[in-house]
Amino acid sequence: MIVSAGPAGAGEHVLAGARLFRAERYAEALVEFRVAERLGSAQARGYVGATLVKLDRPEQAVEAFEAPGAPAPGDDALLDYYHALACHEARLYLRADRLLETIGARAGPRIGELARQVRADIAAALASPPSRAAIDWYLARCDDNAAGHAALARAQCEEAAALGARRADRYGVAEAHSRAERLKPARAEAR
Amino acid sequence: MIAAALLALGLGAGVDACAPVDPAPRPDAAAAAEYRAVGEGERRAGVKDAAAAAYRSALALDPGDAAARSALSALCVEQRSASAFERGVRLMDAGHRAGAIEAFEEARAGGEDPSAALLEGICLYEEGDDGRARPLLLAADRDVGTRDSARFFLGLIALREGRSREAAALLEASAADRHLGPLALGLARDARRDGRLVLSMLLEGGYDSNVDLTPDGTRGAANTGDEALGATAVVRATPFGASGPYARLTGDLRQQAQYTPLDLLGGGIAGGWQAGHGGRFVLAEYGYEYRAMGGAPYLSAQRVVAGGRLALVPSGALSAGAVWSARWERFLAAVDAGYSGLRQVAEADLALEPTRRLTARVAWHVGRDAADDPALAWWETGPRAAVRFEVTRDLRLGCEAAWWRRTYDAVDPSLGVRRADDLLDISALLEWDVAAEWTIRASLLGRRAFSNVAAFEYTKVVPMIGLAYTVGLL
Repeated sequence: MIVSAGPAGAGEHVLAGARLFRAERYAEALVEFRVAERLGSAQARGYVGATLVKLDRPEQAVEAFEAPGAPAPGDDALLDYYHALACHEARLYLRADRLLETIGARAGPRIGELARQVRADIAAALASPPSRAAIDWYLARCDDNAAGHAALARAQCEEAAALGARRADRYGVAEAHSRAERLKPARAEAR
Repeated sequence: MIAAALLALGLGAGVDACAPVDPAPRPDAAAAAEYRAVGEGERRAGVKDAAAAAYRSALALDPGDAAARSALSALCVEQRSASAFERGVRLMDAGHRAGAIEAFEEARAGGEDPSAALLEGICLYEEGDDGRARPLLLAADRDVGTRDSARFFLGLIALREGRSREAAALLEASAADRHLGPLALGLARDARRDGRLVLSMLLEGGYDSNVDLTPDGTRGAANTGDEALGATAVVRATPFGASGPYARLTGDLRQQAQYTPLDLLGGGIAGGWQAGHGGRFVLAEYGYEYRAMGGAPYLSAQRVVAGGRLALVPSGALSAGAVWSARWERFLAAVDAGYSGLRQVAEADLALEPTRRLTARVAWHVGRDAADDPALAWWETGPRAAVRFEVTRDLRLGCEAAWWRRTYDAVDPSLGVRRADDLLDISALLEWDVAAEWTIRASLLGRRAFSNVAAFEYTKVVPMIGLAYTVGLL
């Protein structure tokens, strides 16, 4: 599917992307959403994130959802759900849980039930205090991604801080906060 | 409409980078440039299907776009490699490791591919070819997406080679992956208790309802129960890891509360060679042991052991093993001298390990004690079954049952009969890891002996509780 890229074409590319997404042609859908994004579509970035989730690219999806210009959490329950899925698959479990918590009944019964199941999985996975090795892993990923993927790196540092806060010794919390602060915030609200 | 589209579930169809591109009805160079830019971005990000789709759109709108054509051609080569990768995964899943290794090599020929390197490394590890597996796993370790799994298997290789500290560090580093985590942390703990030089100590105490048994397990004269404290220390050296030569030094001490003539002090030394590991190995061992009982020399024995194990399915979930041992026993007290002689035991078993947490084993046992006194020499045979279950990472349960029929060679002149005994042994064991190197062990051993001589029938119950310390020194 090829859509003209003329000045008024961003919306057409979004619609073309949505049609391809529904046809489960996610790679092509991503291309259309990306073209729409390049043409200035404000809504396309969220759809890019959702499509990246479908393409099993959760870390890139997190970046898309958290980059400046992406729809803010709370704007669209379905995108919030995909955002949460991206976080979950990128192992940002506490971040995913916070997003899912806000979805509630906004997304309808089907997504609501899926969200409930994912939250139950997260609760089970995080039933016991995290190990130091787990927190170190997030800090290392934060460092690895700091140069080229600031939004993802910041999310990983914030996850490390949130995990550390679940331990009695608050292992890594101060360090994680400090590193997260050094990364330019992708978006300050609702994190 | 868009929300409805986003609710679509399922896997996306792939984009064929090698298929011919049909030109669009109306060429549009400006639109083609947008698609090409998206293609470049997706290619840099590693979303190859999307990159191929974008370049195909660019070429459809501008067939003269050389950059898009060249990039699509490169993606076509990579896609063929990916096809080899998928074939490798299918073969690996089906247990055809040799074919999978070949396919992953083909996939890697198309360019650097951490996933193919990882899976080929895993196949080679499972084949026991650690030398070829290591560089591939190290290559996979350089990629964030495959790093945890690569470190997990590098840890397993280090564990197998006896580099326990390195193994523990690698396994712990891989534990952030929530799928690998529980297993990796358990193995890391095991690694800290393993190594090229391992010290194990056990201090235990308990009660033995029938402490006075003769060297062949026959009921003795006292038929009494007693409390006892015991200590055992073992140092094991495997300088080249699990596969290679090994040596073992053992010391043990038992102090009875009341029946001090049965106080025991002993020690042994053994050395051998194991070729292979895990589900495929053979070994041979020689050992010597000496024991004193009640302060007097009691036993001097030399022993040889030969054994092996072979995985019957590629996963190793079902394996067969066999072991034979021969012990030349010399009982040093005059009263026990008739028990001296060559004692041999052979056992063949099938082991089933449906999950890493559960192991079940059934075995058939044959024993022969060619004691100097024919009335004390016997053959025995019978089945043995054991189950071991890891309840949690720190708690293990095991139980075992065996029934052996023993037939003596000759009529006992003092009894006027040729003895025939049946021995039923049942035991249970609980191990609880309370710290990195410390384990509480509780065991219960029970025996019921049946005999055609009523005086030799007895019941023995031995509950014990102990604290074990195991540490890898090197």
